[in-house]
Amino acid sequence: MALIMLRSRALTLCSNNLKWTSATISTSAPTFSDDVNKAVKQKEPKQVENNIALLNPDEVEHKQKMKGYITVEGAPDVSLISGIPEEHIKGRRVRIYEPPKNAMQSGTNNIGHWEMEFDNRERWENPLMGWASTGDPLSNMKIQFSTKEDAMDYCAKNGWEYFVQESSHDKPFKPKNYGINFSWNKRTRTSTK
Amino acid sequence: MSQAAKTAARQVKPILSLNKEEARKRVLNLYKAWHRQLPYIVKQYDIPKNIPQCREKLREEFTKYNNIQDVRVVDMLIIKGQMELKEVVEVWKQKGHIMTYFKESQEPKPKDFISKFLAGVN
Repeated sequence: MALIMLRSRALTLCSNNLKWTSATISTSAPTFSDDVNKAVKQKEPKQVENNIALLNPDEVEHKQKMKGYITVEGAPDVSLISGIPEEHIKGRRVRIYEPPKNAMQSGTNNIGHWEMEFDNRERWENPLMGWASTGDPLSNMKIQFSTKEDAMDYCAKNGWEYFVQESSHDKPFKPKNYGINFSWNKRTRTSTK
Repeated sequence: MSQAAKTAARQVKPILSLNKEEARKRVLNLYKAWHRQLPYIVKQYDIPKNIPQCREKLREEFTKYNNIQDVRVVDMLIIKGQMELKEVVEVWKQKGHIMTYFKESQEPKPKDFISKFLAGVN
């Protein structure tokens, strides 16, 4: 603070010598003037963005087109670029199924979707601890889908052979009423058993 | 998505190239870059292959993919090829990684009964 005060005193003392410094910051340019009409008439150079300033017209056009869309044909196939080794694409078979109702307390919770899983590969007992080992990286891969079509699309896109296992859990609906307890021709009579 | 919708022409976002000609140019550029690097690879990595053998393998690796229709897949393969070339040039790979292109260390699976029995597989 003391330094600033000293400097301001020094400036006031030698203000004649410092007049040129105040002249370097000009406020007289038309764009900065208070006269709006003058500022609007002023012609500005066209603004060039930094990222395209050094490009050819062709390159600029390419860059512009890259923001749009291109047309491709054929079914989508990512098996070549997914990074999955070829032996785990060609020889594998995927089962697409609906997981069944759980017999334990969770019951019908956590079902109602479709899942995919791979065929079983060799498993062996680990000689060290006796635990189960497998060399199959896809053995634990289970993916859930909301519809079987989604699962089928996913498998087709990844190049896996698949089959859909439809479940037969829909029981036929049996209408029941009080009257059938007294039916004469159906084996539903309860009173004279 | 129905089967017809999947195989029909679709509008998608490009990755590097806008059309097949451009993708082809990129592929050729990558091929040339690998081709120029081959003598250095043979010398630097001290692999038991000569330059013509490596050229043959390089050609095989590229022609493996010559029926791809999707420009985006070609672009992705170009990116991957470029990354691998970088790994080779910077010696981030080792001799074994180079030799896996030739796949000679992979033993063929036993076919007949006795060799299966001896290998302990069913």
